[in-house]
Amino acid sequence: MAAENPSPSEALPPFDPDLDHFARLGLRPGYAVDRDAVEAAYLERSKVVHPDRFATAGSGTRRAALEHSSALNEAYRVVRDRVLRAEYLVKLGGTDLDSSDPEGGAPKPEQAFLIDMIERRDAIDEGGVDLDDLRDSVEDELEAALASAVAGLDAGDHASAAAALVRRRYLDRFLAEIDDAIG
Amino acid sequence: MAYSDKVIDHYENPRNVGSLDKSDEAVGTGIVGAPACGDVMKLQIKVEDDVITEAKFKTYGCGSAIASSSLVTEWVKGMKIDEAEQIKNSQIAEELSLPPVKIHCSVLAEDAIKAAIADYRDKKKG
Repeated sequence: MAAENPSPSEALPPFDPDLDHFARLGLRPGYAVDRDAVEAAYLERSKVVHPDRFATAGSGTRRAALEHSSALNEAYRVVRDRVLRAEYLVKLGGTDLDSSDPEGGAPKPEQAFLIDMIERRDAIDEGGVDLDDLRDSVEDELEAALASAVAGLDAGDHASAAAALVRRRYLDRFLAEIDDAIG
Repeated sequence: MAYSDKVIDHYENPRNVGSLDKSDEAVGTGIVGAPACGDVMKLQIKVEDDVITEAKFKTYGCGSAIASSSLVTEWVKGMKIDEAEQIKNSQIAEELSLPPVKIHCSVLAEDAIKAAIADYRDKKKG
């Protein structure tokens, strides 16, 4: 039974910077997550490490509480988002989509895909494209790319998941441009 | 982020925007992309007697990517393809004073000119 005023230093577990986002939340790494469980884990853990609880503790403990909280916030932001979660799982598998490094960075898409990305934009510039229809279609393609990435992750095929997520990034960028053009 | 004056100049007044006929035997087309951010770049050259007589680009990306490709099209006009192939991203980055986070834009432009030259050579081989 905890005392009424637990010693803050005892209550705060040591901060481990190397924990992955899933472990940080006490979850098993994987694409399928129960959103309610993620939220519950986040709230419960946030309470334990909240800096307000350690306002009168020593500076080391206060800093550890801040590190815990910000790492927990980041874990929650990533794990609850369906795209960020997929990208993060690919990163745990060794591919960092934010890097252009040929080793371990985002894989290059097929040349045909890039040509398509240029030609579809050329078509917009030349006029006569129904932007709303195009927008719907690109949104469908974004969903399909994510579904393909998730299928890859579920099958343990990180390379195909990474390739699908790269296509998704190009499409996401294209969608933003279409939105700009629609105004 | 603060862009250098040269980046802003190329971004606001890009040189050589447009397309060449990619089915033309004398035209080489390079299309490259930056997976991390989704930028795509098309760079085309027209070659006569191993000299680049025309260069056009279309870049869908940030200001640094547009400036890098614009600069490369300016540089390569009048160059022999062997010379153009030697252009290094570091020269582009230096000319435009690109910050470290934008170096990949200059890499993209180097990849694009190399891809365009490779495409032209492939065509010539038939």
